[in-house]
Amino acid sequence: MMYDVCIIGSGAGGSPIAYELSNAGFNVIVLEKGELYDESSFNKDELAVSRRDMFTPPLSEQKHIINEYSQSGKFTRYDGEKSGWNFWNGSMVGGSSNLMSGYFHRMKPKDFKLRSSYGEVKGANVVDWCISYDELEPYYDKVEKVVGVSGKIVPHKYLEPRSNPDLPYPMLETNEVTSWFDTACKELKFTAIPTPRAVLSQNALGRDGCYYSNFCGSYGCASGAKGSARAALLQKCDAKVITDAFVYKLDSKNGKITKAYYYTKHGVKHVINAKIFVLAAQAIETSRLLLNSKNREFPNGMANSSGELGKNLVFSAGGSGSGRFIFEKLTKEQQTALMQPGLFFNRSLQDWYDYNDGCCIYKGGTIDFLFQHQNLISRVNREMYDENGNLLWGDKLAKKIEKRLTTSRVLTFEVFNDWLPTDNCNVSVDDEAKDKWGIPVGVINLNSHPQDLEVGEHLAKKAVEVLEQMGAVEIDYSISASPPPNLVAGGCRFGDDAKTSVLDKNCKAHDLENLYVTDASFMPTGGSVPYTWTIYANSFRVADVIREELSKRMKL
Amino acid sequence: MQQFQRRAFLQAGFLSSAVIVMNGCSVFGVTTSRDTIKDLQNDLFPKAKELGINTSDYIGIVLKHSRITREDKEYLKKGVKWLNEYAVDMYKKQYTKLLSDERQKVLEGFAKERWGESWLDTVLRYTFEACFGDPIYGGNNDKAGWNWLAFSGGEPRPKKVFL
Repeated sequence: MMYDVCIIGSGAGGSPIAYELSNAGFNVIVLEKGELYDESSFNKDELAVSRRDMFTPPLSEQKHIINEYSQSGKFTRYDGEKSGWNFWNGSMVGGSSNLMSGYFHRMKPKDFKLRSSYGEVKGANVVDWCISYDELEPYYDKVEKVVGVSGKIVPHKYLEPRSNPDLPYPMLETNEVTSWFDTACKELKFTAIPTPRAVLSQNALGRDGCYYSNFCGSYGCASGAKGSARAALLQKCDAKVITDAFVYKLDSKNGKITKAYYYTKHGVKHVINAKIFVLAAQAIETSRLLLNSKNREFPNGMANSSGELGKNLVFSAGGSGSGRFIFEKLTKEQQTALMQPGLFFNRSLQDWYDYNDGCCIYKGGTIDFLFQHQNLISRVNREMYDENGNLLWGDKLAKKIEKRLTTSRVLTFEVFNDWLPTDNCNVSVDDEAKDKWGIPVGVINLNSHPQDLEVGEHLAKKAVEVLEQMGAVEIDYSISASPPPNLVAGGCRFGDDAKTSVLDKNCKAHDLENLYVTDASFMPTGGSVPYTWTIYANSFRVADVIREELSKRMKL
Repeated sequence: MQQFQRRAFLQAGFLSSAVIVMNGCSVFGVTTSRDTIKDLQNDLFPKAKELGINTSDYIGIVLKHSRITREDKEYLKKGVKWLNEYAVDMYKKQYTKLLSDERQKVLEGFAKERWGESWLDTVLRYTFEACFGDPIYGGNNDKAGWNWLAFSGGEPRPKKVFL
């Protein structure tokens, strides 16, 4: 069987290709390592989802090696299994988009021209993208309509140009505490932005609207309101999805990928033939697969004539913080509003998407505000120690838990700023450690640039100002170089020069005529927003290119 | 099948198997993980009993769970030995044989040791899983833990346990 297109990975990078090309009549197969979960099987089981990691592989079977670099250039090696350091996200049909919160921000025009807008940063490999915001804008717009983005656009200094003035779906309902935030921002002269969400606020697109379950991020959506790649795209097309298919090798001949090889969980081997291959296995695993696919034609890894494969891995820099609202400082009505479950907070700040520190202009970022996750066990666990750090037990512990959880609530914030690409942040494969199939595991070399922390600090302090103005107590934050495993990009940079990039501007490998990479691997820099919207948009863009290519071939 | 049954037997037996308690270099006595953990959970979080939640049976689930590593399961059992030996050192009695006040004194001393506090932290976390996880796992009887904290849970709830 020769498929028109074989897509490896069913998440946000692969699914737009599957959706567009199968709906255009092409024969598409999607290979997904994980299982199928859908609306009927998702539930809000904290023990399974959050404490036993049911949606990610056991680290005893599949792990990473992590080399954490210090600023001096020395590194410490961690074995993912022994350390419990887990870089898997959602191993399932639709990938981690099933589990996202769906905070959707577009990248800004300057994000596409980071180098020319802000200049060179010593010790960082910053480059401009080889496409502009204008080229991606129609696809951001398409995602709003096809995947479904709800919210309300308000004017602000950094609002990106839009082909449509507002989002196609109305805002989700918000908690009254959101109005406290808006008032505080007005007093501080900050611009409160309703956070666009990839969550339908009403029935649309053949999916049910949000039912305000109180458990959105980290959990699968039981109504289909969340715009996961599965609910929004794969379930709306005829692409054939093969689950339990771990692709471990690609083979090539004369500059073309000829076959994809996969294992089932029981070690049974299969081979897929296709005219075009699209790789979207999430940034780390995409580089790993290509590095593990060495052959005579590509002795340093598939598509790696440049030597750039795996290089310039980026995450989202920043961190998080919180403040607590306590009953003692609130009226009865405010107390009731504060404890109202289910409704969203949905506010962001982008006033400092760039900022002048008095010396020069820095690229800043985004701050999202949200209520602390409702996971009860994890909230109770946070109360186990007294203010001096001593373990509590007995009645003292019970009283503390009861008071904290029933007469106060925590508002959190997340800072997103650029993780500058550096030489020591990349993906390789290990010489010794192998997964359960005997395939070399990915090595994640981690390094952060000092500027990442400085910018994160600047933004976190602004978030603190808002929490103080709102009357929160116990305000705290942490900006660190620890990477969020669900916000990873790079490793297969796109660019115009085949000597310095892995992919061309259409995300086709420079070295191969039928290999495209459409997860976040193509991104030379990550912007200062979560990546999912950009991954979706770019994948829709590449789908147009592949459709044209396949149509041309059919005419020949 | 035979192998599976043997594994099931070993897991079921984990809580009731003997834990040898040493007093210095000599054997002091024998206890079981179940007895010690049951008393300990009641000392650490008596609210569970008040709410009618059985937390010690939940430890059986922890010990069977495919996603909890063998090292973590062994750690639970080792801690039972450490706690009892600490009690023997203080009172010449196993933890389960002590009076309530004596057990509190043992916990106060044990929690001052970094390794002791770390193990108690682990037991408390599993205890909270029993109290505040979905009732389908056998703890959180009639949502008693959720009701205590005015927590409504998330819908839909699981129809089967994830082990």
